Amino acid sequence: MSFEMWSEKYRPKSLGEMVNQKEIVERLKSFVKARNIPHCIFAGPPGTGKTTGALCLAHDLYGEGYREHLMELNASDERGINVVRETVKTFARTRSIGEIPFKIMILDEADNMTGDAQQALRRTMERFTETCRFILICNYSGKIIEPIQSRCAPFRFTYLSKEDQYAYLQNIIKKENVKMLDEGLNAIFEVSGGDLRRAINTMQAAASAGKPIDAETVYSVVGRANPADVRNMIGLAMKGDFIGAREKLREMILKYGLAGSDIIRQIHIEIFRLNIPEQWKIRLADAIGEIDFRLVQGADEEVQLSALLARLTEASYEMKRGV
Amino acid sequence: MYAAWTVKHKPRILSEVVGNEEAIQKLINWIKSWDKEIPKKRAAFLYGPPGVGKTVAVEALAYDLKMELVEKNASDYRTEEAVQRFAGLASQYATLFGGKRLILFDELDGITGTADRGGVRAITETIKIARCPVVLIANNAYDPRFSNLRKYCLLVEFKKPTILQVMKSLKKVCVSEGIEADERALRLIAERSGRDVRSAINDLQALAQGRRRLTYEDVAWLGERDRKEVIFNVLRTIFYARECAEAKRAVDAADVDPDMLFQWVYENAPYQLTDAWDLARAMEALARADVYRGRIRATQDWELLRYVLDFMTAGVAMSRQRTKPSGWVPFRFPERVRWLARTKQERQMQGLIGMKIRRRMHVSSVRAVKEILPYIRVIFEDNAEMAAGIAKWLDLDEDMIGYLAGSEGRAKAIVGNLGS
Repeated sequence: MSFEMWSEKYRPKSLGEMVNQKEIVERLKSFVKARNIPHCIFAGPPGTGKTTGALCLAHDLYGEGYREHLMELNASDERGINVVRETVKTFARTRSIGEIPFKIMILDEADNMTGDAQQALRRTMERFTETCRFILICNYSGKIIEPIQSRCAPFRFTYLSKEDQYAYLQNIIKKENVKMLDEGLNAIFEVSGGDLRRAINTMQAAASAGKPIDAETVYSVVGRANPADVRNMIGLAMKGDFIGAREKLREMILKYGLAGSDIIRQIHIEIFRLNIPEQWKIRLADAIGEIDFRLVQGADEEVQLSALLARLTEASYEMKRGV
Repeated sequence: MYAAWTVKHKPRILSEVVGNEEAIQKLINWIKSWDKEIPKKRAAFLYGPPGVGKTVAVEALAYDLKMELVEKNASDYRTEEAVQRFAGLASQYATLFGGKRLILFDELDGITGTADRGGVRAITETIKIARCPVVLIANNAYDPRFSNLRKYCLLVEFKKPTILQVMKSLKKVCVSEGIEADERALRLIAERSGRDVRSAINDLQALAQGRRRLTYEDVAWLGERDRKEVIFNVLRTIFYARECAEAKRAVDAADVDPDMLFQWVYENAPYQLTDAWDLARAMEALARADVYRGRIRATQDWELLRYVLDFMTAGVAMSRQRTKPSGWVPFRFPERVRWLARTKQERQMQGLIGMKIRRRMHVSSVRAVKEILPYIRVIFEDNAEMAAGIAKWLDLDEDMIGYLAGSEGRAKAIVGNLGS
């Protein structure tokens, strides 16, 4: 077994190695062939190949020395108008040496940029189109301002199918000598929900225990990676102790740094395991879905999940009254 | 080790005292005049608001002039007899060892009621025959109780220092505590203290003890503390309004920052609305307000703020349908703000590790903390060898390894594997 993060080690280097997002990959390959690319927006959920796609595109376009023609900026670390003005401008305005006359700027998590920064970016994109092409990566393209969207070719990445994930994971299992049981693999598919990075991270953490990976090991990794006891939190809410449940929620988000999307995913799994009337499970799933959607749109995790907990508290009263 | 900073960093010599130069000079001149002859006014009456440095000035003065300071405060002069017990000291000019003596009656405001009347009279008598300088300190020298006493005293007014002077004092404390503080943070503390140096330093200690850096964000919530009453009134209106307009007006009337008010309403809703149905409505209203906040962020269209306000005021107010009145429920300070402060160190460490991950794995540090760090933690708990490999690959230092391993034993095992 190798001792680095597998999700990085096995990141595809070239578009030919990407097995998922077939239509997108085909279009990117055609860019390589034409030796020209437009500004692009890669939108879609985490772990679906957006950053990988951008890196592979650059690799195939420039060859091995592609790093010299490429700059990666992360908007959540370096957001703000000054970064765009200075860093981006300095990079964008100098001409690339080599046969391809432009460089590539990858702006990851572009949906986290402030409106002002996006406005500044828009002007920069226009002024330096000759020398620099932008690839904006985001979860949700709706958070990118219209004028930028209209200047970019949009690509919508989707969660990986089970088959595509299987192909990736099998390769790693073979190379790393992982002892994987079928039930373990199925459990990984269940908890990853099509997010390949999560699937690989979960597998590596499960493998680190050094035993054949069964479903139990996978669930235990998920539970430990999310020290949040979601079941306990739901239990408190349904017992009527909303305040206690909110306290747990705060602990998960603020102390353990858990993502709201992880918490809600677990709530969703737990609801269907609860011993409550069946028709309530689907009613609650609707409430969960609504909150999930708001989180995707960038709403506040604690506030939204609190509203969901309050709904659970209310639901448990209604169940008792037989509504 | 946790001495109060107001004591620990008290100026010991006059040159360290900030502000009130004129008053202090007046006091010095008067004391020096004792060297020639006993002046007409045998006592100096220092007055002014709390925390402006009256006592500190007298103590530093005594130190500089090498005088023996005999300090008495309220509890020492409850009654006539109590004062007379040490009045004798004042009738002698020199101390036992030939030094000069300075007598200080501090906290004269502490004398209250008829039982203490004798106390003031005894002090007045003591002053009349005093053979060494006597200094009196009170907040208000013009209190009718002191009208007779005042006649025998040189009145010296101490004024509030300027904001800049308060900041200067705070800076000094920061320097000697090794804290790097933002100018804006200190200014806010100074402003909120009402130019009371003592309370400013107390606040500084509460906010900064054990830190290396103090930023504006760390102290920003302090701003709301003084305005507790304003916020409480708004909250009261929001939680008890019967009409939308009434709840909405509460915000217009008081100039409160909507984000901060949101935190207050969000914190207090479950305590104010105890019925599950009501609470679910209220939390949903707050969640809707939050959705509009998100839309403002995305579009920068601040016109949408009115809907945020609708939901967080009227939306919450109209949720009260079934909650039974249960008397007065006190409002609580937003725990979330405190949580953020409490978990700050932990989040800082996570942030540092996130930066390391970011360098290697093409994700932002924020995302690294949420999506990758948890799995690394599991590996660090289970497999010291793989953990050491990852630690090397990510270039983690021992603090980071210790944090991820969660226990000292495991951290040692991982560090032990680093060389291999």
